[in-house]
Amino acid sequence: MNRAEFITRLRRGLAGLPVTTIADIVADHEAHFADAQAAGRSEAETAAALGDPDRLARELRAENGLKQWEEKKNPSNALAAVLALLGLGALDVMFLLPLLMGVLGVLFGMLVAVVTIFIAGGFVFAAGPLTGPPGGPLTAFLAGLGMMGVATCLGALLTLATVGVFNAVVWYARLHFRLLKPAMDQA
Amino acid sequence: MPETIEIQLKKGVLALCVLALLSHADSYAYEIASRLTRDIDMGEGTIYPLMRRMQSDGLVETYLVESQSGPPRKYYRLTTAGRQSLEQQKAEWSAFSRAVNDIVGAAA
Repeated sequence: MNRAEFITRLRRGLAGLPVTTIADIVADHEAHFADAQAAGRSEAETAAALGDPDRLARELRAENGLKQWEEKKNPSNALAAVLALLGLGALDVMFLLPLLMGVLGVLFGMLVAVVTIFIAGGFVFAAGPLTGPPGGPLTAFLAGLGMMGVATCLGALLTLATVGVFNAVVWYARLHFRLLKPAMDQA
Repeated sequence: MPETIEIQLKKGVLALCVLALLSHADSYAYEIASRLTRDIDMGEGTIYPLMRRMQSDGLVETYLVESQSGPPRKYYRLTTAGRQSLEQQKAEWSAFSRAVNDIVGAAA
């Protein structure tokens, strides 16, 4: 593999990362080829010594995904980090997937429950007073408000729990990732 | 896979080696990679993800130096946190290697 081929494959593997990050990484590797050439090594030799560019790109993507998640906790960064780690094989899918599915299932169930309570609360709040409920219209009105308040509160707690779960996944992956990382072209 | 323990050992000490090299003198990636490849036979490509990680962890920082030939060269230097990390890892490494040497030596 020559220099141009190596850089092309590296670039392709990095697609989707911020443009400046890609430019930075490509510049590092271009400089590596230039230094190697100055030391009298051929492009093919240098490319072989650097290792598989697809594998390198996966390493670099995973590193970037984790950094993004640590800087800004949002669902798309969480997904990106987990996908990047899966690509690297740092997450033991066979072990983790059933567990993760279970946890995500429970979180989803709770989300549905919270939304249902909120809607029911809204219904009691709006329609309750008109149906002549026990305790008078005001009771239904306040009960509806209360239910919506409880749902909002639970929703906030649920969000915290979800962030916690993803942090735990990233922590777990990073433990494995740090061990895996430096050996990439020895594998 | 007879080489497994060797790979595991190298993996563990790679970051320590980079920190130690940089504590002697600032350097650039190709130089660090050549040194590590020559002395402990690591794949050269390993250096770039490692340097990026160490940079994002705040252990090293970069600066550019004009070069006579070609574009400016990116040098790495240790940060204060990097020096602290080096001291800590160095102490861990010497305690660990001393313990292993004692056991291996005694068993022989």
